[in-house]
Amino acid sequence: MLDWIKNINKEYPDFWKDYLTKFETKPNRFVVLSTETSGLNPNKDVILSLGAFSVVDDSIIIKDNFEAVLLQYKFLQDNGLSNEFIIESKMLKMPEPDAIESLVNFIGNSILVGHHINFDIEMLNAALERLDCGRLKNEALDVDMMYRKLTDINDKQFSLDDLTEIFKIPKSDRNSSAEDAYKIALLFLKLKSRLGIK
Amino acid sequence: MNTIAEHIADFLKEYPPFDNLTFQELSDIATNIRVINLEKHAVLFQNNDLLHDSFYVVASGIINLTTIADAEETIINKCHEGDIFGLRPFFAKNNYMMTAKAREESIIYAIPIAVFRPFVANNSDVLNFLLESFATNSRHTKDSVSSNGKMISDTSFYVDQQSEMQYIQSLNYNNSPLTTDASHIVKDVAILMTDAMMDNVIVCEKNRPIGIVTATDLASKIATGRYPITETIDKIMSSPVVTVIENVSLAEAQLLMLKHNVTHLCVTKDGTSKSAVKGIISEHDLIVAQASNPGVLIKEIKRSQLPKDLKQIRDRLSDLIQNSIQKNIPISHISNIVSEINLAIIKRAVELSILDLGSPPARFAWLSIGSQGRKEQLLLTDQDSILIFEDVAPEKYREVKDYFLRLAKRATSILEKVGYEFCPNGHMGSNMLWCKSLTDWTKQYNSWMNTPGENSNDLSSIFFDYEIVFGEPKIEEVIENVIFKNAVNNTLFFDFLGNDALKKNSPLSFFKKFIVEEEGPEKGKFDIKTRALMPLIDGARLLILNSNIKGIKNTYLRFKQLAITDSKNAEIYLSCAEAFLTLSKFRTVEGLKNDDSGQYINLREMSKTDKEKLKNALTPMKDLEELIKSKFQLTQFS
Repeated sequence: MLDWIKNINKEYPDFWKDYLTKFETKPNRFVVLSTETSGLNPNKDVILSLGAFSVVDDSIIIKDNFEAVLLQYKFLQDNGLSNEFIIESKMLKMPEPDAIESLVNFIGNSILVGHHINFDIEMLNAALERLDCGRLKNEALDVDMMYRKLTDINDKQFSLDDLTEIFKIPKSDRNSSAEDAYKIALLFLKLKSRLGIK
Repeated sequence: MNTIAEHIADFLKEYPPFDNLTFQELSDIATNIRVINLEKHAVLFQNNDLLHDSFYVVASGIINLTTIADAEETIINKCHEGDIFGLRPFFAKNNYMMTAKAREESIIYAIPIAVFRPFVANNSDVLNFLLESFATNSRHTKDSVSSNGKMISDTSFYVDQQSEMQYIQSLNYNNSPLTTDASHIVKDVAILMTDAMMDNVIVCEKNRPIGIVTATDLASKIATGRYPITETIDKIMSSPVVTVIENVSLAEAQLLMLKHNVTHLCVTKDGTSKSAVKGIISEHDLIVAQASNPGVLIKEIKRSQLPKDLKQIRDRLSDLIQNSIQKNIPISHISNIVSEINLAIIKRAVELSILDLGSPPARFAWLSIGSQGRKEQLLLTDQDSILIFEDVAPEKYREVKDYFLRLAKRATSILEKVGYEFCPNGHMGSNMLWCKSLTDWTKQYNSWMNTPGENSNDLSSIFFDYEIVFGEPKIEEVIENVIFKNAVNNTLFFDFLGNDALKKNSPLSFFKKFIVEEEGPEKGKFDIKTRALMPLIDGARLLILNSNIKGIKNTYLRFKQLAITDSKNAEIYLSCAEAFLTLSKFRTVEGLKNDDSGQYINLREMSKTDKEKLKNALTPMKDLEELIKSKFQLTQFS
């Protein structure tokens, strides 16, 4: 609640100051975001990979994407995990600070979209705090909430699998945060037109 | 690294022409794709839209490609997963010539042309594939190669579609016609025509067509020496020129040429002579043969001298109808052709009467009303007509009216000999009530529409379906304007028509059984005219008058047009349009079987599936009734 007082005289990193100025204009794109994490506790767990696509004018812009695997050496070592597989893959790899900075640059003032997006945002906020930044300021939309609003169901949550099943979105055999982000983006397009969101 | 771009590349490489490209090339293309979701019935682009900067590949779902001709939507192709469409921007500069609409919820990849063009240039296989798809509109999916069971039914579907297309395909015609100015000299125009190797030239004034000169004109007016070759072109042109709208169908163009007895039609932007010239359709464009040629019948009608010749032709028309129904030609096209032939017969009957009686003393219009006015007469039914003559000096009135009554009596009795019975209610031009001057007719329509409750015995809704058969078109226009002027905000009139439309007896009982005649000669039969067709006809007329849409007389086309105008109720209108065709077909088949008007259907002779089909065609009536009730809040007369 009183976070802003804590931050009042803080000197932010440059990319964060830049991010804050972007909110002077209104957003003209959506960014669909998905994170893969080591667990559900924002304070103890960390982000392992990030996937994001932009949605402009009711289309997913494939080129305008962000994907990264975060190299969490500390986490992996503490838990006795190997990072061999990650090292072998073709995916873009970045240490957490670089990845978070690139992501913040990528999303700008866009409206964030995700499945249970609040959790993703909490995870990002925790990472941002480690970089001496403030909390994300973007507006956010949750496809689960959108679906429940559409169908007027209040007593139940829908997993991403449930929703892709309902909207007959083709399943893929591979699983990554980019895959999830793409699926969420398709869901979002469908929900958006049904709910009449501009 | 872009995971999803690679997935899309994986998807694309399964389908031509992408299978000619390397995975790396496909990844580059996929990276630049936009992914679009289309809800059911959403339109991606439509006829005449500006070209997009992308072409499209169906990722999932089905997209229908359609064209619109004569207010009817025709499916040209269905695009399934992996099919490409919207290639027009590659090859042409003008706007889209078709509509792409999602048949079900679909996901589409939009591939920017700028990105794809280099691959086309460097790879002739890709270019050939695109050219071929663009030219033939045929399907190219990976399963079309393997001919499994599903594909066979698909193919036969397409064959069917092809034969129907003969009637509804849009015409290929010359869309860069030769034009000239009215002040040019015949010799120069003739040189122009010779150089361009054309047999016609359109004479324009500010790009609007005012006349046409054909090789025939040159032969008959110049070569005969009647005019010198130094005359200006407007002296020898034929005027006015018959104009049509773009996207006219083969059938429609053919009918227009027959109707106006011309060999060329001028295509203009909005179909009238008041807009820019777009092209010219010549008889040659229509020579594409048609199996049974109604044109021959019409030519013979024009030559007939005696009622019995006409009767013979009318009998042959019945055969033509029977054949066409067996060939499964769409009933809407059959009725178009039949109406045109009916029209020619009635016209000839009036002509023969004039030949007997001598020239009319004033201009007049002979209008067909009722079913012929709506162009949906398939069987020999009774005659319905009115006669309107121009206003004359009071002292001449009696004499003029006398002439027209005699004319009408003669014409109707010729038609009776041909086989059209007299109207039992006397709705004919030979009745002194329905043969009067333009002023009197205007008064008549005014009183019908403004005080519909009084003298309501006189008022039959068939007077609101009319088509000119013979005489002065301006008179028909005047009447049409009177009607539409009176219709505006005329609650009372619509109330009356609405109640009239709804008071017909319902076709099915509470238990969904057909309600049949309880007594009389038709006991036990189902009255398809009054119980099923009339409510649809009345409903369509009511709604079209209310929407202030002129010029659409046919019940089927009225519903189609309403579906376009009032899109929120489109589903109801479209099912009514379909139902109307189905019911008309039942009636026609029954009528041909018994050689009567087909009004009563003998249910006992019907197969079970036909009965079900008939019952299904009755279901949209309920929705239409509700729609009318809510739209007009019927109170005054109910």
